[in-house]
Amino acid sequence: MITINKLSKIFRSEELETSALNEITLTINEGDFVSIMGPSGSGKSTLLNIIGLLDSASSGSYLLLNQEMIGLKEKFKSKARKENIGFIFQNFNLIDELSVYDNIELPLIYNNVPSSERKKKIENIATVLGISHRLKHYPQQLSGGQQQRVAVARALINDPKIILADEPTGNLDSKNGNEVMELLTDLHANGATILMVTHSDYDASFSQKTVLMKDGIILSEKMNNRNVDVLVSNSKKLESC
Amino acid sequence: MLKNWINIFFYQIKNNKFFTALNVLGLSIGIAGLIFATLYWNEEHSYDQWNPGKDKIYTVLNNIGGGNVWAVNSAVPGPILKATSSNLQDYCYFTTNYNKETIEYNGKIELVNKIFSAQSSFFSFFPFEFIQGNRKSALHDRNSMAISEELASRLFKNENPMGKQVKYAGNFFIVRGVYSLSQKSSVMPAAVTTIIEEELEKKKDSWGLNFGLMLKLKKQSDTTAILKDLNNIYVENNFKKQAKEEGITYEAFLKLYGEPVKAKLLPLPSVRLHLGNYPFPEGTANLHFLKILMGLSILILLLSIVNYINLATANAVKRAKEVGVRKIVGATKPQIITQFVFETTLITLFSLLLALVIVELSLPFYNSLLAKNLVLKGAQFYVQLIFIFIIVILVAGVLPAIYVSNFEPLKVLKGNFSRSKSGIWLRNGMLIFQFAIATFFIIGSFIVYQQVNYMANKDLGFKGAQVMDITFKPKKGKNQLERYKTIKQELLKIKGVQAVSAGVFSIGNDVNSWSGMHYKDNKEVIAQQMAIDFGMLDVLGVRIIKGRDLTNKIASDSISNVLLNEAAAKTLLEKDPINKEIIWENRKLKVVGVVNDFNYFGLQNRIAPMIFMHITAFDWIQKDLLNISVKIAPQDMPKTIGAIDKFWKAKVDAEYPFEFNFVDRSFARTYKEYQNQSQLFSLLNVIVILIAVFGLFALASFSMERRLREIAIRKTLGAETNVLLKELSKQYVIFCIIGFIIGIIPAYLLLQQWLDFFAFRINIQVFPFIIAFVSLLFLTLTIVLAKAYQVTKIDILKYLKYE
Repeated sequence: MITINKLSKIFRSEELETSALNEITLTINEGDFVSIMGPSGSGKSTLLNIIGLLDSASSGSYLLLNQEMIGLKEKFKSKARKENIGFIFQNFNLIDELSVYDNIELPLIYNNVPSSERKKKIENIATVLGISHRLKHYPQQLSGGQQQRVAVARALINDPKIILADEPTGNLDSKNGNEVMELLTDLHANGATILMVTHSDYDASFSQKTVLMKDGIILSEKMNNRNVDVLVSNSKKLESC
Repeated sequence: MLKNWINIFFYQIKNNKFFTALNVLGLSIGIAGLIFATLYWNEEHSYDQWNPGKDKIYTVLNNIGGGNVWAVNSAVPGPILKATSSNLQDYCYFTTNYNKETIEYNGKIELVNKIFSAQSSFFSFFPFEFIQGNRKSALHDRNSMAISEELASRLFKNENPMGKQVKYAGNFFIVRGVYSLSQKSSVMPAAVTTIIEEELEKKKDSWGLNFGLMLKLKKQSDTTAILKDLNNIYVENNFKKQAKEEGITYEAFLKLYGEPVKAKLLPLPSVRLHLGNYPFPEGTANLHFLKILMGLSILILLLSIVNYINLATANAVKRAKEVGVRKIVGATKPQIITQFVFETTLITLFSLLLALVIVELSLPFYNSLLAKNLVLKGAQFYVQLIFIFIIVILVAGVLPAIYVSNFEPLKVLKGNFSRSKSGIWLRNGMLIFQFAIATFFIIGSFIVYQQVNYMANKDLGFKGAQVMDITFKPKKGKNQLERYKTIKQELLKIKGVQAVSAGVFSIGNDVNSWSGMHYKDNKEVIAQQMAIDFGMLDVLGVRIIKGRDLTNKIASDSISNVLLNEAAAKTLLEKDPINKEIIWENRKLKVVGVVNDFNYFGLQNRIAPMIFMHITAFDWIQKDLLNISVKIAPQDMPKTIGAIDKFWKAKVDAEYPFEFNFVDRSFARTYKEYQNQSQLFSLLNVIVILIAVFGLFALASFSMERRLREIAIRKTLGAETNVLLKELSKQYVIFCIIGFIIGIIPAYLLLQQWLDFFAFRINIQVFPFIIAFVSLLFLTLTIVLAKAYQVTKIDILKYLKYE
């Protein structure tokens, strides 16, 4: 699904050049759940942003669904982004002026989905994520965990090929954080492809594979072994929410 | 504390250079506008205020019925009133127009514009400061002349003018006083004589209205008593006497000729701002225009203040953190308010200084538009300036300051305050208000322009482009009519002269004479007397629509046959007015033709009923023959004019300069003032649009910049640029439309009122409204889309992360 080859990102200021990414090579297959870890300034967020087409690389190759993304015009990037990628952020990035319903609806509007279908989809996903009683509320009226669930709903509403999560639990307490992680695991179990940046070893343990970065290079990639039973119990928990 | 405030003020200015500049510029333009209007207002209100006796001086107006209030008086009542009324201190008859004539001294001829004549009591009514001579003796006999300081230096250079002999209008005068005209007065003559006494002498028994009359009362409060005395004189000495002569009772006489004239007293201090007929030669102020200008200036200042408030509250959100911290470390609400009012004070001070610079620089232009000579000075003006300053600070400063002082520190410091909606309704409301004002101005100046354009292009009923109206000054001891006949023959010999004729009137100038016309039992009609030589109507290209023109072939045409214009003919209430007999000036006259209505005064006046008779029909008309009309061929005009000029100087008048105007241009002067007003309104319109555009741009910038994070999120979710542009501009278009709808109502009503000043006017059409709407929408979209496009190009990452 994603093939990255010798991808570099260099920040230039007047005096110095900082290499944020240095010839990164990485492949993510369909159905993968990959975490990227590393200290601050290791380049993990930059990598995520480039993969999310929010930022551009200085050199190298990035194939998304076998299509080269480097050097693509903003208009095409925007199109590729709205069709294929769902975002989950640390600070949720919900629009405060819009209700939960309207927030979730946005990607559908931008993808020209007819309004009757939009309504059905939103109600569906709200039920799945247990926020259907919150649709009329505004983000500020919700707890952090609920806000993140809205953000997840918004990321999923368009059936993206890949979900990019940037420290999704960073602004949450451990209980709410856990819930969000269980949600992602559940999505993965149902076949979603997820790329997650995190600081937390615990969060990373939910994923299949952890990529460790430092100073713009990949130090290691390791597979995580996790008990499938947990998944089952998680999904049970989810239903009770 | 002050230093801290000043530091942070300059920090803010440095970081918001552009918006601060817009703010200062907007405010200063608004203040400058009000300064301009104030200067004009002050000047018009300063007339006669210096006069120490102003509260006891009144001028007499006469209500002759039918809504006609005339400013002229008969020579009769003055002396009688003085003899009989215990309330009157003195009276003074004067000429209601200046005379333009040559004054000769020692062989040197000067053309003088403002020669005035009044009775010798004049200088006790207008006690000008005398540099030489004194008020009492300056006009003590018929040969005395008092002159202004300015004329003295023109005529006499360094000589002492006192006791010198000058020649004016065929008479010799001795200069007995020199006065200075340092203050504005209703009469500001270059020279004053008592020539009027001759006229008064001649007309001492005539009840015809000819002269201006001022009264000085013993006590200010005596007006009712004086009015009673005055009206009594009219009844006893005029009406009852006439009734007696005709051998009928007074009541029967009233039935026949209507109510006697009713006098009105107009106090001197309010004369300048009087609306309607008015006796003094300096003319009245244009009160309507003055009020409109004042109103519009206040509106513009309000607009720029609204702008300021908008920008200040929008900007205040950025400063929420500062306010929060100040509050936490112990600032009280009043302290915060004081701080922000202090900042407004500084901004207003800059604006005021800039406004003074703007005024000083553009004053010559403004003066030429108003035909004024305004200067930036006077204690009164500076008091007003301080008043404006304080008002601006209060209105512009206090509202945002209170708004800022109400920020809750906890909310502010927690973050996301900059996205708060607080104050947004105030700002949007004000934006709508601005759109409404802009709408009003665009529509207004367009309609004013249309009306002025209409006046310039209207078919006036005569063709004046080839007709020279030549000033024909009388010569002492010579008969004007005879002179004219000779001159006419000579003029016709000049190549290029097509026709020569004359009329005792001058189109577009204020020359006019009126008298009552009677027909059967119809109500008396006050008609304008238009004495003409044969062929005059042809020269002017005025059509005869019924009957025939007057001709020299029919003897009675120069005696008892007359023409009426359509307006006058209508008042006869006859299907066919031809051959009907009317009574005019106590004589029976036969109507032989009806003349197409043509405009004589400016287009603000209706076309009055006119009666055309030959110059010789009444003896007293001839001496008023002061204009000759010459129609010349369109080819080689300068050559023809040159030849006439040469002939005129050699054979007609060597002293008074050859002076003529083409009749169409004379008429154009009647709407020149409105052309200037139209220009001024267009200028104001540009200013208003500029300020509104500043405001819109600044407000759109602030509110869009507050939405940067939202825009970033939307972009992340795949919003395309055009969708975002639509999303961002939508609300402004809606505000624009609401503002427009609010603006059209006052625009329609007020412009309707303005147009009502004109007897000949356009109707308000939809077109100006469409123009206003399209241009407003276009401006809004341009500004908002430009800004929106700029914000959609932001770096998404910056706002996703660090908000």
